[in-house]
Amino acid sequence: MSRLALLPRTAPFADSERASLDAVLGAATPIQRAWLAGFLAGLDAAGGQPAAVPAAPPKAAEPLTILFASESGNSEKLAGDVGKLARKQGFKPKVVDFADLDLATLPKAGKIVAIAATWGEGEPPARAVRAYGELMGDAAPRIDGVEFAVLALGDTSYAEFCAIGKALDARFEALGGKRAASRADLDLDFEKPAADWIKATLKALAPAPADNVVAVDFARAGTEDEDAEPSREPHVVEVVEHVNLNSSRSDKETIHLALAFEDGAPAYEPGDSLEIYPENDPQLVDEILRSAGLEGDEALRKALIAERDITTLSAATIERFVKATGHEEARKLVESGEARAWIEGRQLIDLIETYPAKLTGEHLSAITRPLPPRAYSIASSRKEVGDEVHLTIAAVRYETHGRARSGVTSVHVADRIRDGAKLRVRLKPNRHFRLPQDPATDIIMVGPGTGVAPFRAFVQERRATEASGRSWLFFGDRQFTHDFLYQLEWQEALEDGSLTKIDVAFSRDQPEKIYVQDRITQHAAEVVSWLDGGAHLYVCGDAKNMARDVRAAVVKAYETVKGLSPADAEAQVATLERGHRYQQDVY
Amino acid sequence: MDDHSPRADAPAPTGRVYETPPTERPITDAEAARAANLAANEHIKIASGYLRGTLADGLLKHATGAISEDDGQLVKFHGMYLQDDRDIRAERTKKKLDKAYSFMIRLRIAGGVVTPKQWLILDDIARTYAGNALRATTRQTFQYHGVIKSNLKRTMAAIDAALLDTIAACGDVNRNVMAATNPAQVGAHREALKLAKDISDSLLPKTSAWREIWLDGERVVGGEDAAEIEPIYGRTYLPRKFKTVVAVPPSNEVDIFAHDLGFIAILDKKNKLTGWNVTVGGGMGMTHGETDTFPRTADVMCFVKPEDALKAAEAVMTVQRDWGNRKNRKNARLKYTIERYGLAAFRAEVEKRVGKKLADPKPFTFTGNGDRYGWVEGEDGRHHLTLYVPSGRIKDVEGGPQFLSGFRRIAEVHEGDFRLTGNQNVIIANVPAAKKAEIDALVAEYGLTNGAGALRRNALACVALPTCGLALAESERYLPDLVSELEESLASHGLQDEDITIRSTGCPNGCARPFISEIGLVGRGPERYHLYLGAAFDGSRLSKLYREDVQASEIRGILDPLFADFAKNRQPGEHFGDFVIRAGHVAKTTNGPDFHARTGALKPAA
Repeated sequence: MSRLALLPRTAPFADSERASLDAVLGAATPIQRAWLAGFLAGLDAAGGQPAAVPAAPPKAAEPLTILFASESGNSEKLAGDVGKLARKQGFKPKVVDFADLDLATLPKAGKIVAIAATWGEGEPPARAVRAYGELMGDAAPRIDGVEFAVLALGDTSYAEFCAIGKALDARFEALGGKRAASRADLDLDFEKPAADWIKATLKALAPAPADNVVAVDFARAGTEDEDAEPSREPHVVEVVEHVNLNSSRSDKETIHLALAFEDGAPAYEPGDSLEIYPENDPQLVDEILRSAGLEGDEALRKALIAERDITTLSAATIERFVKATGHEEARKLVESGEARAWIEGRQLIDLIETYPAKLTGEHLSAITRPLPPRAYSIASSRKEVGDEVHLTIAAVRYETHGRARSGVTSVHVADRIRDGAKLRVRLKPNRHFRLPQDPATDIIMVGPGTGVAPFRAFVQERRATEASGRSWLFFGDRQFTHDFLYQLEWQEALEDGSLTKIDVAFSRDQPEKIYVQDRITQHAAEVVSWLDGGAHLYVCGDAKNMARDVRAAVVKAYETVKGLSPADAEAQVATLERGHRYQQDVY
Repeated sequence: MDDHSPRADAPAPTGRVYETPPTERPITDAEAARAANLAANEHIKIASGYLRGTLADGLLKHATGAISEDDGQLVKFHGMYLQDDRDIRAERTKKKLDKAYSFMIRLRIAGGVVTPKQWLILDDIARTYAGNALRATTRQTFQYHGVIKSNLKRTMAAIDAALLDTIAACGDVNRNVMAATNPAQVGAHREALKLAKDISDSLLPKTSAWREIWLDGERVVGGEDAAEIEPIYGRTYLPRKFKTVVAVPPSNEVDIFAHDLGFIAILDKKNKLTGWNVTVGGGMGMTHGETDTFPRTADVMCFVKPEDALKAAEAVMTVQRDWGNRKNRKNARLKYTIERYGLAAFRAEVEKRVGKKLADPKPFTFTGNGDRYGWVEGEDGRHHLTLYVPSGRIKDVEGGPQFLSGFRRIAEVHEGDFRLTGNQNVIIANVPAAKKAEIDALVAEYGLTNGAGALRRNALACVALPTCGLALAESERYLPDLVSELEESLASHGLQDEDITIRSTGCPNGCARPFISEIGLVGRGPERYHLYLGAAFDGSRLSKLYREDVQASEIRGILDPLFADFAKNRQPGEHFGDFVIRAGHVAKTTNGPDFHARTGALKPAA
């Protein structure tokens, strides 16, 4: 059997060296070759010696499937972290989005780490809905002998905390899997506990002792595509434009925020988000301090304003409160099983006022969790705004149980931030909400309310790059006259061709409510025709109703326009989703 | 009480040299129109395809609440004006919002009569699309404000469902035809209303554009033959707006002298109609600083038999169609045509088109141009209640009268009809005696009122800010406050019950007919007005500019000494407008051409 001469004669090696290399490479598996390629690339990039040198030809590494179901990108980020660490530890990791999961691969997966976010009222992230449904269904394959571990992400301010992670954990076991590490259910301050869990879990899943493990640390030079990823370091930025986009006659308040990065904006892409580190309403902090009998503690006041989540109330918060204070009435509430119902619409202040107790600063720290940053879809393109990032933030205000409530970040921005103020922010990339690679591809954008933000970025980007594809925006809000966010800019975009069409739905301008999904239905034939022509469809905004209704409207459009059965129409949309041509950024 | 048998103060025709009237029909060819240097609107009309323009496409442009500039001119012929809320204009650009555009929609309701069923539909429209307000206009119809573009077709469909329309409510056409409302004169009212409706219908544009654009009607396929599509108007309609009214003496509530064309009922001793005096060439609009533009009171031209009235109306309008100035819109109304060619030549041409010599006018007497508030009983034993509606704003006032809800409740039980007056008031007409108490109870329940102080019930204001694009100063939102100030002043001189007409407009186009009221205010700039005095109480004589550019805060101080003089030195029955001339405070205006002569105070007021 003649050896293949892999290296060309022109390769910069002596003939004898070429023969040796051909002998090694010709016999190597694709994995070995890929490893070598990465190794050599990393070696050069790091400009030095690797930390460890293989003593012997490597054994085939242990495969590890890392599944993630992500909405905001946190689970995905963690899956990447698992992958990196796993590789160092000698696994052959494969990171798989639930959106792309083929269930048939699971029985042969060997080892699985699943990281799942829970969304809204106990729902899987939108992209994961299909695979999750299949996995939970009767047709799911057995995974006897497969080792697994589940990391669940959630938000304790929602009733069904970590529901999806819990369900997956149970399901893998029911299908014959073997739990290699116990599940962790993590709240918004997940970063530290997640890192710990990952370490421990990989240890538990680790193959035989590590004498045959090649640990290669190339310092910065990773092997994944994170090379291309911009920095996630927090920046302090200056507010250079702060304007309420709604008219003074509107009952809504949507802040357009332009933030200037003095040291250069991170390399964000249209579709990415920016996290804002907010501060709490000092008045609310004062009320809490007063109720807790802690007035005058300036250091504590400062810490509560800047560092602790003093609004969220969860069952866990009440339990911690009971533990800290021994409050009898509060204990009864927990024991009665009615705490969950009582929480509805209430916040920490209600707890402290309803169950007065002398608290200490330590109590408050124990009861609360760290104040998380809040992500907003970026509304600008660097190609048009340079070192700025623009955001579109709706001030959230409502009343429950006789008390005015406000969204921590949005109202911080709306009420306490003005031109010239500083904010701490951090980039949060979203690779799953991206313009088509091909600038000639048409795009349909569905973004009511602040959901329009990323589409402002899309249109700016496509204008700057002179993309030839058509673009169609569906926008909606309450009133045409008072709530038409960025109206003048859309007019300009229509004028210069960076926007081809706009359809609008204003719910309160006429007796019946009209929403974006109604406009999609109204223009069903054209929507389907654009999609048949290869258009990508993007949806951004409210996850609870809008995104679901828009999706249903698109399915219905296939039904009516093409005469398909509901199942076939559904399959068409599922195909779009799998092909990343139906993308969502919902919240 | 001025006697007009025939006008004693008409200017002597001697000494005036008139131009020779044109013999050609108006230019309808685009090339020729450009060569002849016609006004911009003429080109728009020619290119519009009988008032279509690009309106249908403009409705589909969802990013803007506006329509194109040319369509903005055409849409007037459909009864609409594009407006924007000027109160919030300043903030819009900063907020990345376009101007707060909306449409004013004016209905065509000849004679201002609607049934209770129609009222209920109009009320629904107001609540659904037009900010919970119906507005009774100074020309006896309703208009809506604040209808946004996306709701135009729905609104028009609803209006159509009320068996009403908005065709020719604005634009260079014969607009809504007004008629005397006096319910006491049942027979004469019937005749006046019938003539108003006949004129309105026969001089209505015939293009199917309105139905096509607003009601998705079929486009009527046919040739481009103007004689078929617009037999009366032709392709270019009229040079300018054209307003027609029908009056029944002794009330001049329709302000006949302020209109292009008017008919004055001539009744015999038994109050039976014998025919009509025809008036021509009245009009209010002028431009500040341009003395070749001026208001003008109409001439009483001739008398026609009832059977010739419609023909005479068409003849007057078509002569204006052919003779009117199409190069300069500021000089295009019938009043200028008559000044240019002379009344005699105009009358001769009308007679030619009617096909017979027309008689000279008959004597008549007007006693005023206000409304009769409260209940009156008609000749037929039916009862009629005139309610006072400040500035015609039919809406629910917070903590005040509930006009919208009150009239709705009345419409639900009322069996007669409603009549709008030219003074923006509402008459609940044809109430059987047995039903009076029920109506009275509702009037009381909703705080409606059948009167106000003497000055207030004789007050009239145009809309102006924030919706009117022409307004230079506040009008409707300011006049009530000024009236309160002046009422104090009048009372201090014992004049609290004196009927004095007072009107204000935000610009000199004169929608509230300020130049024929005894006290007239015309906007010049924010809180700045020209003050006019000396018009006749019955609206038959123009006023004169008394003080230029007065601040709103100065007006009471200027008028107070004149009121004092009036209280002290008036003759029995003498009206304020006549007094200020006789006492030498201000020069008398004979008619339009001397409106700008001898202006200013002739002597210190005190």
